[in-house]
Amino acid sequence: MSRVAIVDVAQSKHGAPHTRNLTVRELVYSVVKELLEKVGLTTKDLETVVTSSSDFWQGMGCSNVFYFDAAGAYLKDSPKVEEDSALGFAYALMRVLSGHFDKAIVVSVTKCSETPTISDITSFNADPFYQRPVGIEEVTAAGLQAQQYTSRYGLNDELRAKVAVKNYGNAIRNPYAHRRMALTVDDVLNSGILAYPLRRLEVAHGSDGAVAVLLASEEKAKELTDTPVWVKGIGWSVDHYMLGDRDLLDAAALRTAAVKAYKMAGITHPRKQVDVAELCETSTLQELLWYEHLGFCGKGEAGKLIAEGVTELSGELPVNPSGGVLATNPYVARGLIRIAEAALQLKGEAGRRQVEGAEVALAHSTHGFAGTHHTVVILGR
Amino acid sequence: MRKVAIVGTGQTKCGRRDDVSYPELVREAVKEALNDAGLTVKDVEAFVTGSMPSPMSGVNAPHLYWADAIGAYQKPIIRVATCGSTGGSIAHCGYYHVASGLFDVVMVLGAEKMYEGDPQAVMTTIWDFRYEKPFLAGAPGVFAMQAMEYVHRYNFSIDEVAEATALLSVKHHLAALDNPYAHIKERITVEDVLRSRIIAYPIRLLDICPVSDGACAIIYASEEKARKITDTPVWVKGLGYCGDEQMFADKDLVWWLAAVEAARKAYKQAGIEKPAKQIDVAEVYNPFTYQELTFYECFSFCGKGEAVKLVKEGFFNKDGQLPTDPSGGVLCTNPIGATGLQRIAEAALQIMGKAGRRQIPRVETAFAHAMGGSYSLNSVLILGRTK
Repeated sequence: MSRVAIVDVAQSKHGAPHTRNLTVRELVYSVVKELLEKVGLTTKDLETVVTSSSDFWQGMGCSNVFYFDAAGAYLKDSPKVEEDSALGFAYALMRVLSGHFDKAIVVSVTKCSETPTISDITSFNADPFYQRPVGIEEVTAAGLQAQQYTSRYGLNDELRAKVAVKNYGNAIRNPYAHRRMALTVDDVLNSGILAYPLRRLEVAHGSDGAVAVLLASEEKAKELTDTPVWVKGIGWSVDHYMLGDRDLLDAAALRTAAVKAYKMAGITHPRKQVDVAELCETSTLQELLWYEHLGFCGKGEAGKLIAEGVTELSGELPVNPSGGVLATNPYVARGLIRIAEAALQLKGEAGRRQVEGAEVALAHSTHGFAGTHHTVVILGR
Repeated sequence: MRKVAIVGTGQTKCGRRDDVSYPELVREAVKEALNDAGLTVKDVEAFVTGSMPSPMSGVNAPHLYWADAIGAYQKPIIRVATCGSTGGSIAHCGYYHVASGLFDVVMVLGAEKMYEGDPQAVMTTIWDFRYEKPFLAGAPGVFAMQAMEYVHRYNFSIDEVAEATALLSVKHHLAALDNPYAHIKERITVEDVLRSRIIAYPIRLLDICPVSDGACAIIYASEEKARKITDTPVWVKGLGYCGDEQMFADKDLVWWLAAVEAARKAYKQAGIEKPAKQIDVAEVYNPFTYQELTFYECFSFCGKGEAVKLVKEGFFNKDGQLPTDPSGGVLCTNPIGATGLQRIAEAALQIMGKAGRRQIPRVETAFAHAMGGSYSLNSVLILGRTK
């Protein structure tokens, strides 16, 4: 595979009050403009802009048409990848790898403050015959998954809550994060049951935000930046659609995606070789479950990892130094934010959330109930 | 650059398909395409899917809903959706999957089940909600403005243009009789078209596409794989995709730059300088007969303002200089998420020589188009018999 790099990234300050007076168009415009200015390009230098948003999440058909000009895509080749912006990244990567384009911008946006709740919208992800009538949506599915983990491995609520304490705490160091809070385990456990056993603070609520990433071929990337971040590996995969067809604790699609990405990147011992990971955790339990299926630890052992502080910012393998999706969840954009944050870590531009000396970073995204679809990206310096 | 070929196509019968669920409908197209290529689903390394805005069929993230039925379990799957141009966009995306070197065999799937929703209601959400939406309802009202602008731009009378569009409608309806997958199969006359009721002036009922249920699939392969799979690979020669501004008051609806540029880009890649001479058959995305006239001009099939005359002369007929839509086109079959991909599948069938009664003799180069959004998006793909 020829080499493709992330040249630079830009993101909005996510969530109110920063986004209160910005339209979806303005959010997109602000990040694309910032990104182009950072690298000294104009829209004239661009041939393709891959957008990622969702018509359900924007309340509009053809959501990319609404912000087409704002994305700098006027009279350009600009497709829209739906539901998960990590796949928008994958598409932009394939465009550059093909040799048709030497640069590609990926931009993603969702303004959750203008939409119904995550539960309301994701209830439409359920099939209308079996799952929707019984109230399956993203949050209830995450609850079922968490309860299953508790039953099978005997994990106590406190260890799950520690994930929330870590991620909201890390977010304090991230000026772009939405929910930035110094919490205790008790604060989390006392925040009220949302989908048993998950508490309100254990579930990722919506945010507003946009993010843009510039990819370029090796030659072009070296022209544009002194700190290119190389795409070393990528994989994406899907699980069964019906929850009843799955063991919710067996994230096979995540393993498939990770195996592919690891193989491309030459990673055989992820726990040792990955220096920092940005995971898409729509619930506290999911972060723990993803540790296991990314090979950071064995099945049922994730509780130990969080208990020992391995994934703290100061730990051996920091996970979600940005605060993750619990802190910041502009739904469709969250996957690309993981990639952007991982890139910032490798550029050494992560400010107070920087993991010192990070050489290899992992970014992960998921969408669908209890992690139906997964994407894994490995970046390297 | 890596060469990419279409090695199989599959289409479902289109129309009102109450006999199948949405995933079952898509599965039909998958099976057809696999049979056509002589492959099993195990040979497919990745899936590219798309449809209209998902509220139209009532399930969000429909790629997940389809995943088991199409055999995508534990495989890469992606959803690309760009309204009417979705079929073109997913075909482009599938091409880049293979061209990138990451995959060798990729299936592209587009589908729609329009009878289960309210298509025009969903389409009204495409326009800007403050300035445009209050004046418009669905697609016909919007495209009627383009029709009137065309009539006035070149100082035609409505009757002169209506005569040409009626001929187009008759031509496509006759062609659809030869297409086993087509939805509307009626023998009509010019008088029928001109007497059909006005939907949005000057557009009449028989100037407009139907809503359909249906699905379409194509399979791409890298050069090495394609040679093993088939004796008649259809090579992707050129791709063009282009989007215009959001507000339609900002753009020229007759000399529509997104259509002009999409075609130019694709022609350049494919080495096409004289489209009307070098293209043997064109599957133009034609939901409205009036719009089809403007497309012929934007794609340089003829000069500006010349389409009316050429249609009357039979230039675009099956035995004319540049046959268009021998499948009957969008005008007779329109499961929107699949419609653009059907244009590509039909173009590929023409090159493979598998188009049955709608076959045009000796097709070397074929043109396939899709259009979508609020007068925004155009997709062009040029296919060829030789690399």
